[in-house]
Amino acid sequence: METTHRTEWTLLATPLVAFLLVCLGFPAIVNLIYSVSEISFETLRNPQISGFGNFVAVLTDEAFWRANWFSLRFGLLTAVLECLIGLGLAVFLAPLFKNRSWPIAILMLPLMVAPALMGLMYRLVLHEFAGPVPHYLWAWFGNSPSFLGPNSAFWTLIVVETLQWTPFAFLLFHMAYQAIPEELREAAAIDGATGFARFWRIELPLMLPTLAAALLIRFIDGFRVFDNVYVLTGSGAGGSTTSLSIYIYEAFFKQAAIGKAVAASVVLFVASFMVLYGLNRFARRRRR
Amino acid sequence: MRPVARFASMLAGSVFAAGLWAGVASAEVTVLGWPGGPEETALRAAAEAYNARDDVSDENKVELLFFNRDGFWDKLQADLAAGSDAFDLNLLATYSIGRYAPFMEPVELSDGAQALYGDAVLSTMQFDGKQYGVPTDLSLHFMYYRKDLIDALMSDDSAKARYAEISKEHLGQALEPKNPDDWTWDDYAATALYFTKAVNPDSPTRYGTVLQMKNLLFNIMVWQSTARSHGGDWMDAEGNITVNSDAFREGLELYKMLYDAGATPRDSLSYEFAEANAAYAAGQVAAMVQWNAAAADLTNAEKSPAVGDATATIAPPAGPESRATHIHGLGLGLNKSAGNKDGAKAFLKWLSTEEAALIYARAGGAPALSAEAVAAVAEERPDLVQLGEYAGAYGYVMNGGASANALAIYELQAKEFTGYWSGQQDLDTALSNVEKGMADLLK
Repeated sequence: METTHRTEWTLLATPLVAFLLVCLGFPAIVNLIYSVSEISFETLRNPQISGFGNFVAVLTDEAFWRANWFSLRFGLLTAVLECLIGLGLAVFLAPLFKNRSWPIAILMLPLMVAPALMGLMYRLVLHEFAGPVPHYLWAWFGNSPSFLGPNSAFWTLIVVETLQWTPFAFLLFHMAYQAIPEELREAAAIDGATGFARFWRIELPLMLPTLAAALLIRFIDGFRVFDNVYVLTGSGAGGSTTSLSIYIYEAFFKQAAIGKAVAASVVLFVASFMVLYGLNRFARRRRR
Repeated sequence: MRPVARFASMLAGSVFAAGLWAGVASAEVTVLGWPGGPEETALRAAAEAYNARDDVSDENKVELLFFNRDGFWDKLQADLAAGSDAFDLNLLATYSIGRYAPFMEPVELSDGAQALYGDAVLSTMQFDGKQYGVPTDLSLHFMYYRKDLIDALMSDDSAKARYAEISKEHLGQALEPKNPDDWTWDDYAATALYFTKAVNPDSPTRYGTVLQMKNLLFNIMVWQSTARSHGGDWMDAEGNITVNSDAFREGLELYKMLYDAGATPRDSLSYEFAEANAAYAAGQVAAMVQWNAAAADLTNAEKSPAVGDATATIAPPAGPESRATHIHGLGLGLNKSAGNKDGAKAFLKWLSTEEAALIYARAGGAPALSAEAVAAVAEERPDLVQLGEYAGAYGYVMNGGASANALAIYELQAKEFTGYWSGQQDLDTALSNVEKGMADLLK
């Protein structure tokens, strides 16, 4: 019985293990080799191991740290904004969603748009002569702000990202909110708790795990942002909207600095692993 | 879905996919072209004419392959580096020729190619002294301007006086309006300022010009004629980097002055080809330097009702040293891993004949042909006459502009110069960073 069980397990797990080895293991090993090699498009098959020069080049590159700072700010700000707005919508509009599902479908629509297409759409929407937003601002106020100028591009990107991904956070909070037993709310109401007190002392604590998960997912998504930023502003004037993903892409394809690009991705991988490992340990300790 | 229906749809999908594959696999000379524009239409016409020739055997007929424009050069880079033989001939551009040359082979053109194209145009497909492709299309820059506005300015004395005041205030010298064909960069700047509402509230347009200043290599190509016409180059004959020069300063400061004065839209630092065209076509811009590819739309009253009838094109303004326009070619070259090199070479040789060039031109392509050759299509394609004339008279490729790292150099300049224009760093820092970066890239 035991042997049969083990055979079945092996049979079932083999495709997954093979998939992981081929799709993740192989590129990871190639990446590690390239990151310590002198490599170009001509020598992709014959990398020359050269030590840690690529890592030194990345870690001493001011543009790399600027890209990190951009990604960190972008990831944090968008995650917080999306979660705050998503939570607010889920709680305040809960009565509306109780017996109707179509408003949720409408709210979900931005999720259906590919991020690159979203970037393209806002290039049009915000264009001074072709876009409806500047058009009406000129018509009504005789002026329109610069949406994609050097001082405003970052905030415009934050708004675009938040508008697209708030529905995702909302969906998580909506489900978590609906899962709270109605009896708890009724009991609190009978005990005289106000609406805010019910939210603050009962609903929010029960939704905290969802909040943490939503913040983490949205932060990761925001930190690795590429498509919409690249389409809307590229790497920005003077590199001002270069996210870490854009930095790696441009180093690889535009500058043909393959070793440097791969070294940057290894640094990113190690940093991400450490953060996730730390968060996991923290969560375990909390559970105990 | 019912099992039968599912199977049928899978079968249909398989048959369709197999048909697509067969379409490519059975081709004896596969050409990877530039998709989705006049280049595709023209290449289709040329391939059709070639395949109809009696002396082209079935195994040497041409099949065309197109994939998306987005990331085209990056995908091509990856394919070539991987030694792909999925295509025998592939697209080339002047600025990327040095990067792809290691994966390509030099080609032989027809006997009449030199007379047909001229040396300047042939050089757009050369690297390390060798010819790597047939120059099928040429890109350069025109100055697009509003005839109606300039005519009104030149015939009004009070407007001329205001023009002189504005130029004195912003450029330090009182200028008179001139015919755009006689413009220097100062005249262009004065005109741009005069037609800017923020500078001249009576201006009929919101902006005098539109500059495409996004951090993008193609925008540096548009800008760099300002430096070139002041005598600027990337390197001197000895290979010394020469960007940290007065010529580059003049060009960079001109853009900065116009941007700071509000003579170009405030979002210009995110503008590229499409945005600049949209601004001009809206009728709110008096003049701009733009790629020749925009001419078909901006001079057509149906496509650009606000400006089509009033727009004229000339070569970019002159500087103290010369009048200059960046040129680069698109062309087709031979993949080193090609499966049918003989067939591919034969097609390239034919493509560089006058017969092929005229078929290509009539079908919408933009080859830069000599005055004698272009005369045959001058009536149908008057724009090609201007193209060939300007390419021959004013065209240039920066020294190093076809090197292996030319793309990376343009990228570097785009990043540093947009940093200066946006006020994030001063001019000295930008030029010094570019000089340092170019020294590494051109080692």
